[in-house]
Amino acid sequence: MLNNKNIVIGIAGSGGDGVISAGEILVNAASSEGLFVFMLKSFGPQIRGGESSVRVRMSDMPVQTQGDKIDILVVLSWSNFLRFKAEMVLEDKVMIVSDCDDPMPDEEVPLTESQREYWYKIPFAKISEDLTGAKLAKNIVMLGAVSELFNLPKDALQKSIEKKFKYKDKEIINSNISALKAGQEFVKKEIKKRDPLTFEYEKREPRLVMQGNEAIALGAMYAGVEYYAGYPITPSTEIMEWISRYLPQKNGISMQMEDELASINAIVGASFAGKKAMTATSGPGISLMNEGIGLASMAELPIVIINVQRGGPSTGMPTKTEQGDLMQAIWGSHGDSPRVVIAPCDVEDCFDSTVLAFYIAEKYQMPVIVLSDQFIGHRKESIHPDSIRSQRSGFRKIYHRDTPSEEELKDYKRYKITENGVSPVTYLGIKGGEYLGSGIEHFENGWPAGDVANHYVMTEKRWKKFDHIKHEFRFERFYGPKNAKLGIIAWGSTKGAVKEAVNKANDMGISVGAIIPQLIFPFLIEPFKEFIKNKDRVIVPELSYAGQFRRYLRGFLRFSQYNCKVTPFRKTGGAPFMVEEILDKIKEEWEKMEAAK
Amino acid sequence: MSEALKTNDYKSGLKPIWCPGCGDFGFLNALLKSFETLQLKPENTAVCSGIGCSSRLPGYVKAYAFNGVHGRVLPFATGVKMASPESTVIAIGGDGDGFSIGAGHIGHAARKNIDITYFVLDNSIYGLTKGQASPTTPLGVKTKTTFYGNMGMTFNPVRMLIAYNASYVARTFSGDPKHAQKIITEAIQHKGFSFVEVLSPCVTFRGKDQFKLIREKSYYLDDTYDYTNEVKAFDVANNEERIAMGLIYKQSRPTYDEIIQTNVTDKAKAVSNGTPHIDDLLRMFHP
Repeated sequence: MLNNKNIVIGIAGSGGDGVISAGEILVNAASSEGLFVFMLKSFGPQIRGGESSVRVRMSDMPVQTQGDKIDILVVLSWSNFLRFKAEMVLEDKVMIVSDCDDPMPDEEVPLTESQREYWYKIPFAKISEDLTGAKLAKNIVMLGAVSELFNLPKDALQKSIEKKFKYKDKEIINSNISALKAGQEFVKKEIKKRDPLTFEYEKREPRLVMQGNEAIALGAMYAGVEYYAGYPITPSTEIMEWISRYLPQKNGISMQMEDELASINAIVGASFAGKKAMTATSGPGISLMNEGIGLASMAELPIVIINVQRGGPSTGMPTKTEQGDLMQAIWGSHGDSPRVVIAPCDVEDCFDSTVLAFYIAEKYQMPVIVLSDQFIGHRKESIHPDSIRSQRSGFRKIYHRDTPSEEELKDYKRYKITENGVSPVTYLGIKGGEYLGSGIEHFENGWPAGDVANHYVMTEKRWKKFDHIKHEFRFERFYGPKNAKLGIIAWGSTKGAVKEAVNKANDMGISVGAIIPQLIFPFLIEPFKEFIKNKDRVIVPELSYAGQFRRYLRGFLRFSQYNCKVTPFRKTGGAPFMVEEILDKIKEEWEKMEAAK
Repeated sequence: MSEALKTNDYKSGLKPIWCPGCGDFGFLNALLKSFETLQLKPENTAVCSGIGCSSRLPGYVKAYAFNGVHGRVLPFATGVKMASPESTVIAIGGDGDGFSIGAGHIGHAARKNIDITYFVLDNSIYGLTKGQASPTTPLGVKTKTTFYGNMGMTFNPVRMLIAYNASYVARTFSGDPKHAQKIITEAIQHKGFSFVEVLSPCVTFRGKDQFKLIREKSYYLDDTYDYTNEVKAFDVANNEERIAMGLIYKQSRPTYDEIIQTNVTDKAKAVSNGTPHIDDLLRMFHP
């Protein structure tokens, strides 16, 4: 449905067409005008070249998702577009802009009759060549043409181009700006606008543009990370790239290790030496790190592990999203090894979750996993600058480990049994605090212990922390009316589509509410019991074919006790949920409830 | 000035679990004597290990001691050293921990020249699991997992470490405490990654004559030996019939923390004019 204040632009082409940089210029331009933006990139598996696409949603109102259907499709190469056909669903009355010299004959282009109605053909490559002698600037010509056609922020586009090329020669900047103008001029002179789409918005204070992975890195810096050790892996690598550049400016150290086994053990070592330490990886890396995570759990050392999930199992789909690492995050290591699992649900939440992760890790001396995914990690969103600067919302506290008092140091017991399971911890440099830390079961003083009774007491000590954590950090997101009979329980990046679908459904007169936890493990049952108490039906949407989240929930919640039916909504990873999919499911369940009345 | 620390001051009080006659006792004593010689402060000393008989050693030392997981002592010690560059960091493990499960890490600790000291207490057997073949078990030797005799060629640790460009490579014998103490002290003092193969016999699973056999086969490198000559060092390492004791190879090059300081930290600070505030970092996200 056409909405002139909220549009989705899809751009597809081959890797060399400049699709991604065009998308970035567009997003930056829109954000500098204070618009709400959401940008998703999609690539083929090729390292260079291949096909790539970008989807930019810009709106006058806050947006939660990438938008289901494309309002404006810009095609730099039809043959490459075909690879994204499944991901780029077009509106029935879509605006099409393509290069008139595309080798694919019109009749072979996969468009319906109605989708062909507003099809503009513009010689992007030729204009670029005539102007600059090369086809390279065709993406900029395209931006000019599209901005002229649909009233996208033109001045801001020019500024955004100037900024993008600011380290290049003046000549390069000028030729790009003239390419932008040439695109605009061509439309003014040669094209007669026949479509109804004219973007409308109100200019506001500029917003920041941030990727989920960058928000995690920034959150870690805010929380005071001092040591990073990692091994590159898609789709988490941007975190390491960012940290390795900026952490040294804060006197911290970032090291690229030989593998994930080394990474996890190096951060446990740095934590043992008293530093705030972290690593970031994806599912395959976590599989390798699990032993080390168990070590931190046993040795009660704070570490933060970021898992930017990708499609699995095994190598799976590195550049695609999935929520298949939930159970691994919770139960990944051998033995009963407590660790905290936090799931961010959007880009800004990546910042908050990482700050929270460091807080919990340092306070409760245990590993904390931040379970992000490719969908959040690689997308860009606009963020209000104050939301990060002012600590206005979310959790932004910093914690420094509790060290023993002079008195406690006299007869120092590193693993002293305490009320909340946390014992004061020393580290290198503290005289009198020397102790044996270990992965082997130990007595209070750290010495190895094969004693059965001691193992019970120590296991209990390590798990006791959970009772405190889940109450201290209680945080759930609620959407829709509380008294709705139909509910949705979801986690992580599924939030966006759920929130938007819930709002739409309620606007349509379907009463539905949703709950999204931030803290996944330990799991605070009460708010969920409260939530399902008055529900007849609950939908559990997740990007996991095995339904890991629903199985997890069933371990805590007896739905049948509340006469509440659970409808699993399992989808394999790859593409994230569309709002329409969730909305259809809501309608389906709603009709069943109406019929049962 | 506080009183000088004695060997006994470095004992944690925990009794070793090793079998009577184990070579590891000799190494532990030599190590603690070296600590006394160097007057290391326990609060600034980290002794880390993986899993195995010898990896129990950190528990017996009064220091920041850590007994981690199998094969990962080098990355762990790397993390400790990077987090606390002013501390003395010692990594300890056996031949199984170092050359089998953990072999992948040695080359990287060596090439980065992490300023830690790695002692491998080589008894050529898996002792803690009661007698299975290790990478240094000689060819043909019958163990619990090599019923028909060990089938793999013996690993040559010293040769590997020279090839990896380790900046300090030495060998000693726990049956000669004086020599061990000398090498241990030197190795700890060396700036950069130092590796010491400590022949430390397992009398339980490799036989009581191990001490005697090593004495018969070994010789001491004398003052005329040039340990900076890589080719000679390989010759010494390659001779498996006569086991050379002493410093076999040494080179001087910047350590990882020195490189970080000059190539990373100083450059990064020049860019940021000191500590960046969160607002400075946010600036880069302005569209």
